[in-house]
Amino acid sequence: MSNRLRSLGVVLGFLGVLLVLVLHWQVFYWVATERSMGVVQRIFYIHVPAAWVAFMAFGIVALCGAGYLWLKDDRLDQAALSAAEGGMLFTTIVLLTGPLWGKVAWGVWWEWELRLTLTLLLWFIYLGYFLVRKSTENPQKGKRFAAVLGIVGALDIPLIHISVKWFRSLHPEPVVMNPDGPTAPPDMLITLFTGVAAFTCLFFCFFLLRYGLERMRHALVLREAGRPGGPVANGVAS
Amino acid sequence: MDYLRQVGALVWKDLVVELRTRERVAAMGAFTVLVGILFSFAIDPSVVQPQDIASGLIWMTVIFGGMLGLGRTFHLEEDDGAFQCVLLSPIPRDALFLGKVIANFILLTVVTALVFVVFALFFDLGFGDHPLALAAVVLLGVLGFVAVGTLFSAMSARTTMGETLLPILVFPLLIPVVIYGATATSSLLQGLPVSEVDGNIRMLAAFALVALASGAGLFRFVVEE
Repeated sequence: MSNRLRSLGVVLGFLGVLLVLVLHWQVFYWVATERSMGVVQRIFYIHVPAAWVAFMAFGIVALCGAGYLWLKDDRLDQAALSAAEGGMLFTTIVLLTGPLWGKVAWGVWWEWELRLTLTLLLWFIYLGYFLVRKSTENPQKGKRFAAVLGIVGALDIPLIHISVKWFRSLHPEPVVMNPDGPTAPPDMLITLFTGVAAFTCLFFCFFLLRYGLERMRHALVLREAGRPGGPVANGVAS
Repeated sequence: MDYLRQVGALVWKDLVVELRTRERVAAMGAFTVLVGILFSFAIDPSVVQPQDIASGLIWMTVIFGGMLGLGRTFHLEEDDGAFQCVLLSPIPRDALFLGKVIANFILLTVVTALVFVVFALFFDLGFGDHPLALAAVVLLGVLGFVAVGTLFSAMSARTTMGETLLPILVFPLLIPVVIYGATATSSLLQGLPVSEVDGNIRMLAAFALVALASGAGLFRFVVEE
């Protein structure tokens, strides 16, 4: 099972890299330049897919965390951890590409706009997630704490999302998930969806490989614990 | 009915302990007065009028002072293992959480009132024309803050990092409270009508509700051994 997952992860990795190459060709040569923002708008095709993946990853963290609290199955916790690591990577990409665009489009690197704030907040929730896991003597406790943090974080995010509509926002209006239907021209949408597909493939590649690693580590701990005189696995055996 | 009696007993226990030691209220009270003094020296009145930024300062003082007290919610009981006995009692975990939240809420309301008095004295601040709306903003904001803070205080007390971890876990989640609380307080202190802060009050109430419900549901996974 674990071998098959790993092969699937490798396949997704190759597919993701291929799509990233296609995405770069589209971004640099194919897609039309946006009229008002100019060339800098092209960063959008990296920025927005990364944000989608970052928030999707957080959804997986919260769902797997809730499942873990309910079923006490270590595999769910390992899946949540793997998703959190991938999610933190893509949140970092969002936070790096956003200011690059903002410096040209808004004239400032950072703007305390709510969608940006939300992403930064997400990054810090991920940080807390890893810190709390590492800082307990009993690993079971750390897993539960992390799951609780993931769930509370996920509940907090809709509140802030509602607040985006409340406050006047500098951030460009959504061009795809708009209530009046997509407002962007087709070539831009195609490029955007290439980006989403590429980053989703890469995310699941990281996710599956990381999950496989975590399974192997788990098996190793169990084997060591079973050996006479080996270190006692502190509550890891489920 | 039993449930309410259990929550009441827990609140009573915590308040009596606090009344006898006066540890947390004294620390938070002293902290907030001292922060008020520090702020008045840190702000250059020729550049910015303290009244203009008072609402932000008030909320930051309440949150920092509150973290000081919330971080020690479980400290006394954790030290001599008394919390194990509380856990052994046949009280549902959510009642335990609500009891802790209400006790903390009462303490922090006292501290917040002190913050307002201190800032009114130091910065010559009025309370606006709508003290009731101001009270609603402050109480709802503090309730949401306390609910999140109590849940994560139980968590951080059980980690090796202890209270250092608490702000890292809580501050990102508190951003809605700070945004809505501070802007509403600022509008009300400037004497704007209540209709201006209507949405803020509703958002603060929603935050408090979500924080209370998720805390009550998840608390048992935090205190479980």
